[in-house]
Amino acid sequence: MTASDDRGGDGREGFDRPRGNQAPRGPRVIPEDEPAAVPPRPMPQAERQAAPPGGPRVILDEKAGPAPRLDFQWEQAVVPVAAPRPSVRWSGIGRAIGGLTLLGGGLAALDAANFVVDQFGRGAVQGWATLGVVAGGVALLGSGLWREVRGLASIRAVDRARAAFARGDLAAAKAETLRWAASVQEAAPLQPAIRGAASIAELGALLQPALAQLEARAATLGRNAAVQSFAVTAISPSPGLDALVFAWRGVRLVRQVAALHGLRPGLAGTLALLRRTLQDAAMVAATDVAVDAAARALLSNRLLEQFAGEAAAGAVAARRMLRLARVAAEACRVLPPG
Amino acid sequence: MSGLADPFGLLRDAAYGAERLGRSLIGQDRIRLAVTGLTRAGKTVFLTSLLANLLAAGRGQRTLPALERAAGGRLRAVRPVPAGIEGLPRFDVAAHLAALAADPPAWPARTEDLSTLELTLELDRQSMLAGLLGTRSVTLELLDYPGEWLLDLPMLNQDFPGWSAATLARLRRPGHAAAMGAFLGFVDSLPPGVAAEDSLVQRGFALYRDALRGCRDRLGFRFLQPGRVLNPGPRGETPLLWFFPLPPGARGGLAGLMAERHRAYVEAQRREFFEPYFRRFERQAVLVDVLGALHAGQAAFDDTAEALAAIAEALRYGGGWLDWLTGVGVDRVAFVATKADHVPARQRDALSSLLGHLVAAPQRRATGAGVTTSVHALAAVRCTEDDVATLDGRPVAAVRGVLLSSGRSAKVYPGEIPLRPPEPGFWDHGFFEMPEFQPPRLDREGGAGVPHLGLDALLAALIGDVL
Repeated sequence: MTASDDRGGDGREGFDRPRGNQAPRGPRVIPEDEPAAVPPRPMPQAERQAAPPGGPRVILDEKAGPAPRLDFQWEQAVVPVAAPRPSVRWSGIGRAIGGLTLLGGGLAALDAANFVVDQFGRGAVQGWATLGVVAGGVALLGSGLWREVRGLASIRAVDRARAAFARGDLAAAKAETLRWAASVQEAAPLQPAIRGAASIAELGALLQPALAQLEARAATLGRNAAVQSFAVTAISPSPGLDALVFAWRGVRLVRQVAALHGLRPGLAGTLALLRRTLQDAAMVAATDVAVDAAARALLSNRLLEQFAGEAAAGAVAARRMLRLARVAAEACRVLPPG
Repeated sequence: MSGLADPFGLLRDAAYGAERLGRSLIGQDRIRLAVTGLTRAGKTVFLTSLLANLLAAGRGQRTLPALERAAGGRLRAVRPVPAGIEGLPRFDVAAHLAALAADPPAWPARTEDLSTLELTLELDRQSMLAGLLGTRSVTLELLDYPGEWLLDLPMLNQDFPGWSAATLARLRRPGHAAAMGAFLGFVDSLPPGVAAEDSLVQRGFALYRDALRGCRDRLGFRFLQPGRVLNPGPRGETPLLWFFPLPPGARGGLAGLMAERHRAYVEAQRREFFEPYFRRFERQAVLVDVLGALHAGQAAFDDTAEALAAIAEALRYGGGWLDWLTGVGVDRVAFVATKADHVPARQRDALSSLLGHLVAAPQRRATGAGVTTSVHALAAVRCTEDDVATLDGRPVAAVRGVLLSSGRSAKVYPGEIPLRPPEPGFWDHGFFEMPEFQPPRLDREGGAGVPHLGLDALLAALIGDVL
């Protein structure tokens, strides 16, 4: 049932629409059970003629005292319905990669198992040694994968916290921010206050100082990265190397900022974070283009252009690094920005 | 309100149009929704319900299913824009909701001043680049104001003699006689060329003000000018308001003073109210209490239609070459019959149809300017449920609610709602004042919005295309 569905008596049977002269035509109040006690509402003005019987009416229908207010069970009617999860469909490439992974992983596991059995056939010492090597390798592989999954999950936790703030779900927002506060040094002392927060707005206000502190530290990291990339751009011999250094420094900066916010992204987590950061960065790319165009228009003098070209490129790289620090910090905030 | 005579206005229009275009390009649309309605049409309740339900929808509640469908399920969040340095009061949706939910409940009092609020709707993008570009936002600007002031809009293009002649002609109609007798007797007895004696002016103004109040409160008329005489606003009555219409041919000191005050008043209204808030808007909801007009008699019904036509005539819907050049114009207009819960479900179509006839002139004007229009029946806060009453031994469809005055449950048979402006015989049943109902049980915090009828369809028609 949707919120605007009629829960009234539409569709009831057994009554007619009033017709012709027999039908009551104007509005009225009709005292049904105690006619003398319930006069119709006074007409607006004495000079108006009284409504003839048959007009609109109000019918008081309970002898008893005040009636409770109507209750449409609105809160139940509008409860959010979970959107159906989009079904996951395997694309052709997905199936091919899955097949390759299965072949590679499965055959390798089978090979390893067979090899261990063979080694035991050669002798107990060789067998145990081989088993130890295989087990160690698998354990390292598993722990690496586990760290990746945890890194990704920590980024999902940011999404969950933001969603809780957006919905106004205090309990969920508290739980998520408590988990976050436990992992961030600046926010650790806030935990008792977070537990006592009475509203979403209050919770947001409590987190603001710690978040501002984190943002200041992210800005410092950004400045350091900016100085480094400026210096490298100024001395590097080729633009290709510039781009490489910028990319490497950018990824490192995003990971540093994430670590500030209590996230320990692995490779997959870093990629997810970079994707999210780049969403914001793409928005500002248009601004960069405009700024570059304006700079070129101003520096149309050839000599000036030569002179300013290199330094300008370095300055643009540095500015981008500062902006990257800011958008990375925004991407990691547990509280939705703005 | 526009044209080559006002080059600075045109420049401002052009800047506004450019800003709109720029915002639209970067996915941060801004829409001014003008909620226009005559006094007691239910603007404040409408805005309260609209805001409460939109904010609840932003929290994931399914309060506005039709709007949700129009948005393709991409609405992520709705939040009020934090207060900045606005010089206007902020529309206090929380206070209005608390009053509606209180025990005993209270409907909002007559609006005495302007107030504004802006909401930001955050939406996922629909384009291929959605993942890259992040969410987009639509900011909705809303304004609440006393409905009486809107009737000053047609005055902007009239001089004092023209306004006097039109106003007196209207007030001399038979329907107004009961309230207007004393004032008309006064102005008709004034000798031509009478001096601007202060006590005379005061007496004339007091008679005019009382006559206008009588017309509004007792007779249900709406086309009453100037609006600030009926609702002076927070500053109260100032000498600027002390003028009244004079018969044609009036001259001398009194006529001069009246004309001077009329000009100054119109200028002040233009500067303080219409230019900032009604010169530019993109969407408009025209609220009409059709049922109230119908029950107040033929004269009041015709008067409402005339008032709506006059307002629409004075508003600027775009479509001209200057509007095209500056990129300013209205995109969508919805005409809304409010208090639709006062009639049973099967009569609501008739209510819409009747409204369609009532606003035929404004709708024609808007459509002529290339604006998309629609007609709706709406209850911003649903206070009744459908029921059956027995009248003269015959079952009829009625509504049931709890009366505000006594707290007792009552059925209301609202009479037969005609599909088109009724024949003269219809009015024989006399006048009826619809009782006020208590609002239903509400969450004081408004966390789940407010029960309504048709608000979602209205919003989908008004802003669905930008979501």
